[in-house]
Amino acid sequence: MGIVLEKLPGITKGLPGGELFLTTADNIIEYARKTSLWPMTFGLACCAIEMMASYASRFDFDRFGVIPRPSPRQADVMIVAGTVCKKMAEPILEIYHQMPEPRFVISMGSCANCGGPYYDSYSVLKGVDRIVPVDVYIAGCPPRPEALQYAVVKLQEKMQKMRTISIAGASLQQEHGSRDILSTAPNNEPLISPEIGPRIEIG
Amino acid sequence: MTQDELLSKLASKLPRLEKASAQVKDYLTMRLPSADELVPTAKLLKEDLGFDYLEMISATDWLGAVKPEGYIRNPNPNIFLAEGATPQSIPTATPGFNYHPAFELVWTFASIADRVRFFLRLEIPRDNPRVPTLTGLFKAADWQERELFDLMGILFDGHPNLIKILTPDFTQGHPLRKDYVHIKDKYDE
Repeated sequence: MGIVLEKLPGITKGLPGGELFLTTADNIIEYARKTSLWPMTFGLACCAIEMMASYASRFDFDRFGVIPRPSPRQADVMIVAGTVCKKMAEPILEIYHQMPEPRFVISMGSCANCGGPYYDSYSVLKGVDRIVPVDVYIAGCPPRPEALQYAVVKLQEKMQKMRTISIAGASLQQEHGSRDILSTAPNNEPLISPEIGPRIEIG
Repeated sequence: MTQDELLSKLASKLPRLEKASAQVKDYLTMRLPSADELVPTAKLLKEDLGFDYLEMISATDWLGAVKPEGYIRNPNPNIFLAEGATPQSIPTATPGFNYHPAFELVWTFASIADRVRFFLRLEIPRDNPRVPTLTGLFKAADWQERELFDLMGILFDGHPNLIKILTPDFTQGHPLRKDYVHIKDKYDE
């Protein structure tokens, strides 16, 4: 997949009918991406109990291809399940930056959406979207496992429409490859993927 | 060891301790006359009376109209003050409620062999909240005292590592004090 993503747009750019080939490649890539959506295993508060219930046999997240991974380097999606304290904000940001792109964030429950009942607290972050970009919000306190599964279905719909190669075109990374990007990028600009946006630095 | 036996033993060895007016859950509760008596008392409890386990240390801020059950009657209106707004006056003492500028500390000692629990109370002034540490006698006092320092701002003299334990480094002030005013940090807007 890595080679396809990096080299394919560069190769097919000049060929006649290359765009059609890219569209087909997009379908394959998106299908593969959305049917193996691996979340990072971590829970912050009581929403994590519902998240664990979703993974377990009664609700069976495995049907969607959702298998929790113990490392952010193997994960595609981060489910922020619970209250985000200000002390926990920096570890979350670190986990987010350790995940490989494209990465997705699901904000689960009122606390992660906006602070919830702890909005006026001295120690609680007023929504996880203040530090990381969020793709899907789930309302509820806590949301049922069905709600989390519905959020994953919505995220899959979003991924189905990404058309990474054909719409966004070949990014700098795709044209030159990851290895050579630092030498060819103008002014050594940091790599910013169009759908994620710039990195947020806190410090 | 029953409560009466413990009370008679304490009365013979520590005559300056007096029985507190409010008992903690029907356990024997004594009031310390001053902070200087704390370490000798704890030493005697540990070495002579077999209280080998420090269960917890807690503190109460009596500044603010608080019901005896512990519920805030008139909370501080200035905790989350809007930008540029003038602070409202903090409500003064409501008659009939326990209001005075003091911290009250409660230590809980337990004797595992005798299956008995003992509470020690001490009031310290709010403007100079200093207490000697118990870390020399009980290792368990270390984190408990750090937590009290972090949330209530009580200073434990002689503590080896009196730094924040719960709140992040950028949080200013001691949040569980009744006159706490939140100072905006980098995550507030």
